[in-house]
Amino acid sequence: MKKRTGVFVCHCGINIAGTVDVKNVAEELMKHSNVAHSEDYVYMCSDPGQKLIENSIKEHSLDSVVIACCSPNLHETTFRNCAKAAGINEFQCEIANIREQCSWVHKDKLKATEKAKKITHSTVERVVKNKSLEPISIPVTRRGLVIGGGIAGIQAALDMANSGYEVVLVEKSPSIGGHMIQLSETFPTLDCSQCILTPKMVEVSKHPKIKLLTYSEVQEITGYVGNFKAKILKKPTYVDPTKCTLCDECIDVCPIVVPNEFDLGLTGRKAIYIPFPQAIPATFTLDIANCPGLLPIACGKCMDVCEPEAINYDMKPEIIEEEIGSIVLATGYDLYDKENMKEYGYGKYADVLDGLQFERLLSASGPTMGEVLRPSDHKVPKEVVFIQCVGSRDPELHCAYCSKICCMYTAKHAMLYKHHVPDGQAYIFYIDIRSGGKDYEEFVQRAKEEDGLVYLRGKVSKIFEENGKITVWGADTLAGKDIEINADMVVLATAMRPAKGAEEFAKKLKISLDKDGFLSEAHPKLKPVESVTSGLFFAGAAQAPKDIPEAVAQASGAASKAIIILSQDQLFHSPMVAKVSLNLCTGCGMCVDVCPYDSLSLKDNKAEVNEVLCEGCGTCSATCLRAAIEVKNITPVQIYEMIDASVGG
Amino acid sequence: MVNLEEIKKEAKKILEEGKVKYIIGYAKSSNALMAAPTFVKKPEDIDKLIWDPTCFQNLVKFLIDEKRKKAREKEPDTRPIGIFVKGCDSRAINVLLQEKFITREDVYIMGLSCEDVGVLDKKKIFKKLKGEKPEKIEFDQRKNIVISTKEKTIKIPLKEILAERCLECTSSFPVISDVFWGDRNNRSPKEPFKCLEQIESLSQEEKWDFWQQQLSKCIRCYACRSVCPMCYCDECVVDSINLAITADTTAEEKAQKIKWIEKSPESSENFGYHLVRAMHLAGRCIDCSECERVCPVDIPIRFLNKKLEKVTKELFDYKAGLDPEQPSLVSSFKDEDPEDFIR
Repeated sequence: MKKRTGVFVCHCGINIAGTVDVKNVAEELMKHSNVAHSEDYVYMCSDPGQKLIENSIKEHSLDSVVIACCSPNLHETTFRNCAKAAGINEFQCEIANIREQCSWVHKDKLKATEKAKKITHSTVERVVKNKSLEPISIPVTRRGLVIGGGIAGIQAALDMANSGYEVVLVEKSPSIGGHMIQLSETFPTLDCSQCILTPKMVEVSKHPKIKLLTYSEVQEITGYVGNFKAKILKKPTYVDPTKCTLCDECIDVCPIVVPNEFDLGLTGRKAIYIPFPQAIPATFTLDIANCPGLLPIACGKCMDVCEPEAINYDMKPEIIEEEIGSIVLATGYDLYDKENMKEYGYGKYADVLDGLQFERLLSASGPTMGEVLRPSDHKVPKEVVFIQCVGSRDPELHCAYCSKICCMYTAKHAMLYKHHVPDGQAYIFYIDIRSGGKDYEEFVQRAKEEDGLVYLRGKVSKIFEENGKITVWGADTLAGKDIEINADMVVLATAMRPAKGAEEFAKKLKISLDKDGFLSEAHPKLKPVESVTSGLFFAGAAQAPKDIPEAVAQASGAASKAIIILSQDQLFHSPMVAKVSLNLCTGCGMCVDVCPYDSLSLKDNKAEVNEVLCEGCGTCSATCLRAAIEVKNITPVQIYEMIDASVGG
Repeated sequence: MVNLEEIKKEAKKILEEGKVKYIIGYAKSSNALMAAPTFVKKPEDIDKLIWDPTCFQNLVKFLIDEKRKKAREKEPDTRPIGIFVKGCDSRAINVLLQEKFITREDVYIMGLSCEDVGVLDKKKIFKKLKGEKPEKIEFDQRKNIVISTKEKTIKIPLKEILAERCLECTSSFPVISDVFWGDRNNRSPKEPFKCLEQIESLSQEEKWDFWQQQLSKCIRCYACRSVCPMCYCDECVVDSINLAITADTTAEEKAQKIKWIEKSPESSENFGYHLVRAMHLAGRCIDCSECERVCPVDIPIRFLNKKLEKVTKELFDYKAGLDPEQPSLVSSFKDEDPEDFIR
């Protein structure tokens, strides 16, 4: 059947018209037997441009349109809505990209014009065979899931819950709070980290809309936007939080001491423990990996002393299944593994610390109650060397990226050290000072001027222990000389890495990671919190190194994106999905294996498409040896015609 | 050593017990150099069965016919089919299982090891006989073949007249079977892709000329496709002959059929056919070389398949049909798969 297609060629100012003779493209396409109307206009996406398309559709009784303009990523929705407003099916509107794929990459106007004609012509061939389709509607489970209970996860969960939606917050450790709860004071205002975070933690624990699952891990997520199913493993804590009175008796009798994760090994903890006094939920956890054993009971002392009988050795791992509409992923960060930083003696010398350990030393609730003391001999260090970019900005050996927060926290560390030890001396080795952010530059200047920090531009070549001192060899590239400092303590600003296990987790969820292992957002500028899987959003340092204000802002952004889904009565899915020709299908199942969205399955020895899961990527169609599966509106016949139009006459 | 009497005993037993619907095996044919596929349905016919280097056909193709036949029957006999398989043939069964074309219950696999021999290449023998017609053949100690013609009797070392694929074979025994006869000795030929050496040494132009010359001979009789156990599609994508059109095929579906290549045996269309077929066999071809054997115009089709076998081995460490559970080559990926071709 012959169609009445309209072709609309956009100038995009001179973006297209500068390299492509747009009038010529419009004239040439008019010759096509299926083209009933064609014209050009300076900005098709402008309001008058859209009006022009709408009016032409009505005036010329068009049944399909091709807009030759920028990438469909940008204005496909605009023009499809425009087509719909003019009364034709929105899937009878296709974009011919003559900007990114033509005018922007060519200089020769004659050749670029020819190419633009071919691109537009091939799109006309496609639209001629387009079917009118209706979006697939899907219901929504109005419930959110937040994975990760650090500041980003807490903020996202609170925002979603305060908007009236139920939220499941899953945290793998026994308490929420993440790394922020370990910090002493925060730059640039120097307010106490615990003091500003604990109110939010309490709000989470008391919120009627938040279901908090700590000591739990998401094992599997199936389903699709609006209709996910999460399988969550809740590990046994062996302590009933409703009975536990936090009397501490169990801690006193427990014979096992292991390094305390909360203090990064600067102190010890028992096998039964509460991570920190303000932990949420406020309860003890029996760390089974370090307990002498429950099967059979090897020790049993904690149970013996527990008066409220809160300890229950028979607790079993639980699998909790939750139905979810949208998900925020806030799996956070870890510091670069000290195994990789042997050249700085980290892990070898007790007085070489990383930034988080130093935070604990500074913290009023830390192992030294806020006094800065050397872990080796508990003396006050008089000379402290801070080294920035440890593992960051080192593409050859370590991480190529900038960890972003280290300049600021090192300035803060050195400043706080000087506040604690006014007669001490702080040296900072740096490559550049990156202090972009509200009040950040002023903070660094204050550290330099008021607190007398010595900033040395250069790298450290070697660190070794000698006569109870830590000798640091480095270079001051501004003065052009070598430097040797006999320090009492060294603090390394180690690089931020995606949290351990995040890679494996991302693979399970089929989320792509960037080259450094951080979560890969759907668009670096315009979709910074979205993943490529719809309904799944990112918050915090899992996506890239960030400081607290940024993590909080992104968390609120991700929460609002998640709420957009939860607030819909129903969602619409593109109808450009795969379709099986049952008589050609032999049921080999190769399409099932290759489908990145798990939308295919075998039923009665034939492939079957779950249309809601299908994203129309066409991998199945490309894999099928029998051409038995194709994507609607981009079928092999259409592709064939498009190739013919592109390479042929 | 494979003992034919033992095979016959087993064949008799399973037929008598009604364990299998019938047995696909080999029997003597009117041509001394070539066994004929045979279908044994009754226990009394088992003496037809033979096993020697003339049994070169890949019988797996008959399972496809069986499946089609069964689909047409109202109350099909669902008992398994007994089938003789060599090492290479067994891997064809694995590919069919992997692609869910048959199920394990459909077949009773009677595995036969080629041991240190293999099967004959008729064309090589004809060359040696210089036009004389073989009347009778015998195998001497599994080392030589003794061929009698009207004129004379000649003795040729088996090595000289074995099929190329047998000389390059790495697994001469079935990798899947219900019953098995013979040794399970892995062979490790020094150069499993030796046949490609010469053609790989050619320049691009020379290769083009070579294939231009070879493929222009093709008369598109489709014997290669008909004999191939992997070519089981109801309708071949390169040659829509509307076999797959059924009562419920819509007019729209018919209109959507693309004619990727013309039916005429022009050189360009022949290239289309053979290259698409080769690509569709990547990671599936088990090198039974039946396509090349049946080609009436002697196109060295095996080079195409062997080259793809080599590439898949080198790039993905993949060999077709080793295990019915292994994911198929084109529908699976590993993180460490090479991707340097992406620019």
